[in-house]
Amino acid sequence: MPRLRRISVVKPSAQDFAEAAERHLDDVHAFLVYLTGDRSVAEDLTAETFARALERWRKFDPRRGSARTWLCQLARSTALDHFRSEERRRRREGRYALGGTDAPDAAFGEGLSPELEAALSRLSAAEREVLALRIILDLDGDSAARVLGISTSACSTRLSRALQKLEQEVTAGVAA
Amino acid sequence: MSQLELVQELRANRPVAPTELRERVLALAPPPPPRRFEPNLRRLVPAVAFAGLAAAVGVATVVGVVHGSRGPSVTSAKTSAPHGAVQTRKTAKSPVRANPTASLYADKALGVAPSTTRLQQYDAFLRVRVKDQSELSRRTQQALRFTRSLGGYVVSAKYSAPGTSGTSRLALRVPIQRVQAAIAVFSAYGVLVSQRITLKDLQQKVDALGIRIRRVRARIAGGEPGAQLERDKALLRRLTRGRQATTQRAQLASVALTMAVAAKHKRAAAPPGRFHRTLDDAGSVLVREFELLLYALLVAGPLLLLGGAAILASRSFRRRADQKLLERA
Repeated sequence: MPRLRRISVVKPSAQDFAEAAERHLDDVHAFLVYLTGDRSVAEDLTAETFARALERWRKFDPRRGSARTWLCQLARSTALDHFRSEERRRRREGRYALGGTDAPDAAFGEGLSPELEAALSRLSAAEREVLALRIILDLDGDSAARVLGISTSACSTRLSRALQKLEQEVTAGVAA
Repeated sequence: MSQLELVQELRANRPVAPTELRERVLALAPPPPPRRFEPNLRRLVPAVAFAGLAAAVGVATVVGVVHGSRGPSVTSAKTSAPHGAVQTRKTAKSPVRANPTASLYADKALGVAPSTTRLQQYDAFLRVRVKDQSELSRRTQQALRFTRSLGGYVVSAKYSAPGTSGTSRLALRVPIQRVQAAIAVFSAYGVLVSQRITLKDLQQKVDALGIRIRRVRARIAGGEPGAQLERDKALLRRLTRGRQATTQRAQLASVALTMAVAAKHKRAAAPPGRFHRTLDDAGSVLVREFELLLYALLVAGPLLLLGGAAILASRSFRRRADQKLLERA
């Protein structure tokens, strides 16, 4: 007679969180680097994301998605809060551009060609985030769509357009 | 540079978190355990729904067990003694128990008394259950005789008795002063299943007709011979006929008496056992609870729908605003 497996929901512990942080820190950081286009801001937001994650770690349910997807959702929410506060600050100071053109060199990766680096900086955060999720983090379509809060097909369309635009920008940069 | 080459270059040069950041994140201290209860809606809602369901079933079971153990009630039959309806008491001993509404109607077997000072249209509908076909035949003949003895008459009579069942439908006219006696007697022919009485005041109509008749008479008395006079005379005839018909209608009450043979002693069989009574009572309580729930849903449904729509709209708005923000960034 086969033994019945007892199904139980184990609450994630602080030890689990340390392991998840160790395993997914690079992913969250890379995602935020692409989303913000600024390494120092990305580092601050990464730390803030993990601080929030630790507070909410008890609510994390592994049955509803992987820890990486959950952390990326938190990272995106943290970045959005940052963008909102930045926009308010800039509005107060009378600046209308949201930055991005004055991104520092080697913001996205150490070994990237200058043309690709410049092309990435010319993309919007919305375009860069889908590139980060699908290409850099190599998330599957469903997980990436869940992080972005859109359908899988919309996510694929967004990725295709972002890649197309990146290619155009690189080609234009090389020609210039 | 093709898209494939771009992807390869991006993957080969992905950003890596610096050591300081790693140390900073790993040094995060876990927050103290929450002091207050933090409700988790995803778990709370099913738990509350399950608890509600369990409570509903529990209440129904308790009510069923408590009522089921009391046994069939006989008090309602004993207290249902209608005025003058001696026969009803005799025949209603066991069937009334099965149909509590019958005792309710038996109490009111005399119906509503007609007014003695005003003209009224009185319509009574009675449905009486009799024991068997021979009783049906006997009671039908008695009803016809009794109506005539009261000074009334039979408008129509339909009698059919196929197999073991049978129905007798009588349309009767009874002098309005004696209609209460007729209702009491007809109700006592068996078990009074239903009774409906409608009263309509005709006095106002007759008074209005009288006023119009007086005016037309005055016009005729002072009028010149001619077409107008002829029209007035015709109108007077019509009004007089109308008043007579209305007055006549107010003198005779209409009684629709339906007598039917009861289903072949189904209810007279052995009373239901305790288990069945428990099941019946629990079932009726559950049905009542379901009705209340349905009513609450009907009342609160539109509000819940509005709330849900507002939440969805705000989420959609927020998502769109986020997307625009990211596109600007």
